[in-house]
Amino acid sequence: MFKKRITIKILLFLVFSDVLETFTQFCFKKSALTASGFEIRNISEVFIFLQGPLSSWFLWVGLLSVLLTFIIWSTILSKIDLSVAVPIASFSYILVPLVSIIFLHEKITITRWVGIFFILIGVIFVSLSSKERELNVR
Amino acid sequence: MSTGIIFILFLIVLTSLCDTISQIFLKSAINYLNVAISPSIKKILQFIFQLVQVPRLWVGFLFSCLSLCIWLFVLSKADLNFAFSADSMHYIFIALASRLILKEKIGLKRCLGTLFIVAGIILVSLS
Repeated sequence: MFKKRITIKILLFLVFSDVLETFTQFCFKKSALTASGFEIRNISEVFIFLQGPLSSWFLWVGLLSVLLTFIIWSTILSKIDLSVAVPIASFSYILVPLVSIIFLHEKITITRWVGIFFILIGVIFVSLSSKERELNVR
Repeated sequence: MSTGIIFILFLIVLTSLCDTISQIFLKSAINYLNVAISPSIKKILQFIFQLVQVPRLWVGFLFSCLSLCIWLFVLSKADLNFAFSADSMHYIFIALASRLILKEKIGLKRCLGTLFIVAGIILVSLS
C-alpha cells in the first residue's frame, strides 16, 4: 500500500488547489452577478436564469480552473484519506485573511482571529490523526 | 423573509449533499484504481486518463454539476459570508460519509479537528 502520511509536498498541493478553488468561486460569483435580482418561479425559468452566467466569460474561466483543480485534487486523493484531505483544504480560510492582512492591510476582528485559531487547531488535529494511523499500521 | 432564508438554507444543504456524494464517488474511483503516482506530469496525466475511464467517476461528475447549478443560484440570492458559513456543514457530511461508505477510520483526533474547523469557519464567515 502507498503512504498515508501528510508530507510538505501534499500540503503544498492542497494549498495550490485551495488557491485555484478560491479563484473558481470568484469567477462563479462574478458570472452569477450577471443575473442578480432574477426571480425563479418554475423549472423552465431555471434555464432562462442560466443563460446569464453561461454568456459570461467568467463562468468559462471558472470551469477551466475547475478542470485543473480536478487533476490536482485527484492526485491528492490518491495519496491520503478523503476525511483528511477535505478538512485540511479548509486551510484557505486561514490563507485568505492572512493575505488580506499582509497585502491589503485589512483590519481583522477578534471574532475572525478566534475563528482562524479554531481552524488552525482543527487542521493540526486532523493532520496528526493521519500520522497516528500510519504508526498504528506499523 | 424568514421563509426565504430557510429555503436558501435548504438549497445549501442540498449542494453540500450533492458535493459530498460526488467526492465519495471520486475517492471510490481512485481507491478502485489503487495506484501510487509519482510527482511527474506524465504519470499524473496517465493516472487522470485511467481515472476518466472508471464509470463511477461520471456519476460523481453528474452530482457535482447538480451541486454547481444549485450553488450558482444560491450565490445570486445570498450573501457570500452566509453561504460559506452554512456550507461548513459539508465537512460533517464528508466525515460521516467517509466513515460509513469508504470505511475510513476516524479517530477522536480527526473528529475533534473537523468540529474545530466547522466552528472556526462559522466564526470567520459571520464576523
